[in-house]
Amino acid sequence: MKLKKTLKVFLAALLVMALTGGCVSQYVNITTEEETAAPTTKAPEPGSTEAPAPSTEADIRGQKLEIWYSLSGASGVLFEELSKKFSEEYGVEVELSYSGSYADTASKVSAAMLKGLQPDVVVTGSGQLYSGGEGDFRIGELLKTTNDFDTNDIFEGMLDYCDYMGQGICALPYGISTQVMYYNKDILKAAGVDMTNPPKTWAEFYEVCGKVMESAGDNTKLKAFDTYDEAWLFKSMLMQNGCEIIKNNDGKITPIFNNEKAIEVADYWKSLVDAGYMASGKHGTAAENAFLGGTLAFVASSSNRIARWTGTTTFELGAIIMPSFGSAPSMALGGNVLVLLTQDESKVTAAWKYMTYMANVENSTTFALNTGYLPTHKSALERQEVKDAIATNEMYSVAFSQLEYTWAYTSFQEMGTMDSQIKNALQKLEKNRGTAQEVLDTAVKKLQEEIDDN
Amino acid sequence: MSKATKTKYAYNRHPATFILLLILSLAMIFPFVWMILSSFKTAADVYQYPPRWIPSVWNWKNYSRVFSMIPFLRYYWNSIYTTVVETALQIIISILAAYSLVHLRWPGQAFITALMRSTMFVPMVVTMIPMYLLCASLGLVDTYAGIILPQITTAFTTFLLMSYFASIPQDMIDAAKLDGCGPTGIMMRVVVPNTKGAIATATLFSFLGNWKSYTWPLIITSKTAYRTLPIGLKYLTQESSSEYQVMMAAAVMTILPVLIVFIFFEKQLVRSITLTGMKS
Repeated sequence: MKLKKTLKVFLAALLVMALTGGCVSQYVNITTEEETAAPTTKAPEPGSTEAPAPSTEADIRGQKLEIWYSLSGASGVLFEELSKKFSEEYGVEVELSYSGSYADTASKVSAAMLKGLQPDVVVTGSGQLYSGGEGDFRIGELLKTTNDFDTNDIFEGMLDYCDYMGQGICALPYGISTQVMYYNKDILKAAGVDMTNPPKTWAEFYEVCGKVMESAGDNTKLKAFDTYDEAWLFKSMLMQNGCEIIKNNDGKITPIFNNEKAIEVADYWKSLVDAGYMASGKHGTAAENAFLGGTLAFVASSSNRIARWTGTTTFELGAIIMPSFGSAPSMALGGNVLVLLTQDESKVTAAWKYMTYMANVENSTTFALNTGYLPTHKSALERQEVKDAIATNEMYSVAFSQLEYTWAYTSFQEMGTMDSQIKNALQKLEKNRGTAQEVLDTAVKKLQEEIDDN
Repeated sequence: MSKATKTKYAYNRHPATFILLLILSLAMIFPFVWMILSSFKTAADVYQYPPRWIPSVWNWKNYSRVFSMIPFLRYYWNSIYTTVVETALQIIISILAAYSLVHLRWPGQAFITALMRSTMFVPMVVTMIPMYLLCASLGLVDTYAGIILPQITTAFTTFLLMSYFASIPQDMIDAAKLDGCGPTGIMMRVVVPNTKGAIATATLFSFLGNWKSYTWPLIITSKTAYRTLPIGLKYLTQESSSEYQVMMAAAVMTILPVLIVFIFFEKQLVRSITLTGMKS
């Protein structure tokens, strides 16, 4: 009885301490010295491509922007810091709001758009669907009418990523990533694999996996390879093998990832599972945890893990350029974009200034070097801080050298469904619930049905 | 009999059962102990294989990192406020609804019961957008009321209480009527006092459900002033999937109110289990 009473008092005291502790909380409502209410003007019609009325930097001072973003953890903290810097430099109040995962953000933005309550700017994955999908190509117009952002300096694949259905640019790249093949140097050393000459093709990679498994001996926990995002990697592999994934005929999307080239990739995938090199159905966080726990030799994961994993692993961490099927590697892009969604015309200039500030070469490079996301500007590679990062961290060197062969397929509304269908297909394949042809046929059929329904 | 004597007595009478229950108790406690220990570990300790039980260094910085990454105190207060109000309203409304459906007779009662039951089969994702539109029309976006009001009625709590209310012997109800009690008097003087355990159980379930509610508060709020803890925890986990030690530190602090509520309601909870066999 006495113990319980003591426990109650202890827990209550802890709660009080947690609530009143001397820790400083960080608010994300970034307020400037000048807080004058911005005049609200008529909202533009959906589908408008009309360029905004000219406005100067002086005009935006005192305005208030609402920004929703999917970036979290260390990336989110840095994003907030850069936003604060913008706020101080331009005198614009920036109200930041974390909007959850990409899927959460999709729900939140979609709901808000139905009531016209969307924020002025959103930073999230596949954000081009919210603007381009609604016929809003104001960014394309702003790029033409202002000199704030040089698209010629942006990597082509990233510019493609900001396009919607080939109709035009409707987002700016920010926090873009690609997959990197990380490896545990200790395991590879123990397996006697010379990683100074890393595997360049998936066939060579298969041989290396074999050596790793041979060296495992009684260590039944050890696996050679896995990936955080199987759909993402599979799409890169499809492209490498000459399968274009989808066809876009004047806005009509046709999935083609069940053709002969795709079957070859799926068969290779299955061979990794059959040989015991890759665990069946243990992708995602489980794969990363296994890698960090030292029971996985290779893991293909987002480049944004570089900043977080460097110096925190219990083993020596390395990275190699992603193997390829073809003569040249090819890597699918993922990650975030900045999207202009404001319905208040008087805020367009401030929102555009904010977007171009965050995505400019200096800030996007700072963001990339501290988070592991990729630099979006070609000129970033000439900057001293990037050269230093490449010289001191081989993983940056690998991630940045993959930039030249990154690509993005046409953005379309059912992209999320496509990834789900690919994941389902691979799961069935790994569990022997169909041949490569059967599972991919089913995935393509279901995706096509949804595209047709919409 | 002292607790130590009781334990000795239980072990002597049923040693096998005692040991089995002890093992199960340890299995239940294990995640909590692991969470607390992990909250003091370094990143390297967390991922060490074979696992390291005791931190190599007691790293208190994980706790301060939580506070530096999110406005934890603000989120904490918002969670406590919304959860307490939601739970109180849920329980009051559920008691009234359950009593009405079990002990009163009125036209359309069966239809309303069936309608309520059907709402349990509709996932939240289906009703979320219409609910948002309704709340937006009422000006409830970015308000406490917007978080609380759509969540104050739950069919689950009502049906949970209905099953307990139905176990009150009719003789007791009739006796109260003979003593001059009206419907409100019967509910307040007979039904509620005799189902305290059930109400405690329902309160605990409601509290837990509201405390961990994530999607609705995320959708209906954008301002830090109204955000709740689960959103803050998500902010720590999403991109920091490798920073389990920070997540665990936040989880330790988050779980405290739930533990306190559980300890205060524990006796009623156990009683509710033993009382379910009550007959006339």
